[in-house]
Amino acid sequence: MSDRLERELKKALQRVEPPAGFAERVLARAAREEAKSAQPRAWFRWFGMSGLRWAVACALCLALAGSAVLYRHQRQEKGEQAKEQVMLALQITSSKLRIASESVQQISGPEQPVRSEEP
Amino acid sequence: MKRIGAIVALVLAVQLAAFAQDWDPGGTLKKLSARASNTVDVTLDQSMLQFAGGFLNSKDPDEAQAKNIISKLKGLYVHSFQFDKPGQYTEQDVAAIQNYLKGPDWIRIVDVRSKSEGQNVQVYFKKEGQQFKGLVVLATQPTQLTFVDLVGPITPEDLRALGGQFGIPKVEVHPNPAGKKGESK
Amino acid sequence: MTSAAAVAASELRFEDLVREHERMVFSIAYRFLQNPASAEEVAQDVFLELFRALSKLESRAHVVFWLRRVACHRSIDYARRHKNAAAEVSWDEMPEPSHRDPHAHSASDPMLAKRLRQVIAALPEKMRLVVILRYQEDAGLEEIAQTMRIPLNTVKSTLHRAHAILREKIGAAIGEANV
Repeated sequence: MSDRLERELKKALQRVEPPAGFAERVLARAAREEAKSAQPRAWFRWFGMSGLRWAVACALCLALAGSAVLYRHQRQEKGEQAKEQVMLALQITSSKLRIASESVQQISGPEQPVRSEEP
Repeated sequence: MKRIGAIVALVLAVQLAAFAQDWDPGGTLKKLSARASNTVDVTLDQSMLQFAGGFLNSKDPDEAQAKNIISKLKGLYVHSFQFDKPGQYTEQDVAAIQNYLKGPDWIRIVDVRSKSEGQNVQVYFKKEGQQFKGLVVLATQPTQLTFVDLVGPITPEDLRALGGQFGIPKVEVHPNPAGKKGESK
Repeated sequence: MTSAAAVAASELRFEDLVREHERMVFSIAYRFLQNPASAEEVAQDVFLELFRALSKLESRAHVVFWLRRVACHRSIDYARRHKNAAAEVSWDEMPEPSHRDPHAHSASDPMLAKRLRQVIAALPEKMRLVVILRYQEDAGLEEIAQTMRIPLNTVKSTLHRAHAILREKIGAAIGEANV
């Protein structure tokens, strides 16, 4: 396999950063799992009919909170995508300007003859 | 009176929006997109740029520079087309784009051919009086055509800043009396 | 050591491991699935599995090997469960997450890198993983074989076929870009 292709593959497949806050979300999930497995079951004994109403109220609150979290998550995701689009656009622009800049520098160097194209 | 004022405001808003909108000279970009095997289309108007700016990290040098540049822009549009083989776009296609950049508002500041890179690159500034209003980069190579349109008061200083960052290493090319070319990183 | 102290010690280690290996795990999933949300879901699940299995792992090297293996298998599982959803994604619209590894060299032609990633994304599952492990993770052939639980000869032949496909799809672009 050509060295060139290998180099390009390594460049193209560089590791990428996970979205902001990834580690925190993992740790939060692990903490919840740890808390869940440690929770005593005794509270089931006094969970009577009034508990059912509370459960419904809690479920509604969780759903609302979940929607807010989802909205924030989606907004974060959209923002990250917009950011990546900006960086990609500027990277492409930068690469083309670099080529132009290098060509101009090569042409305008004092030791080089004046030419309209690179030899 | 109030209604006239509202209509004037609406007309102005539409004009400003039209100026800052994605621009397809002669419909050429749409035709190229249909023939390309691979495209990059970035279309960011001012509101999207402001939204994106909120997610750029000021502590990261590249992102801080990007934030600074896009804060001035009304629009950032990049269309890059990759073709399977040479000949899938023509000189007429390129000329159709260039014709739109021949008006009195446009100044072509760079027009180079790089045989080592196999690319032609043209850079245009849009000027209104003494003010810069935009930048266009048109880069062509046998199987790729890239059209970059930055709308807003981007200056030559911003251009210099753009030329060396965002993951692209800045290359210092020194004239060599032996005729040996500097190599790009 | 009391049970609370043992838990505290293992939690500290777990956080260190998450921060040390989040890029690796996320990147494997992302390069395979080509979707950041899916990659995060898989990567989170991988670390949750690590959390449960931590006491069974013997060394930091074992953790790396374990994480790669689980990331690969969970990514394949996810892709198979969400086959239809994955097929609807348009690669042209997918932004590339930023990466700023100070020791890496950026591609001087972003289009070429993007094209390579698209071709890789279209490879068959196992071939795609072999390429990711080889070129993103710099894993040796034996290591790839152990990670994916496939024979060494299969890794070699799979890589050979992948090279042929990549040469066919990208060879002209590399020749012209002269990067």
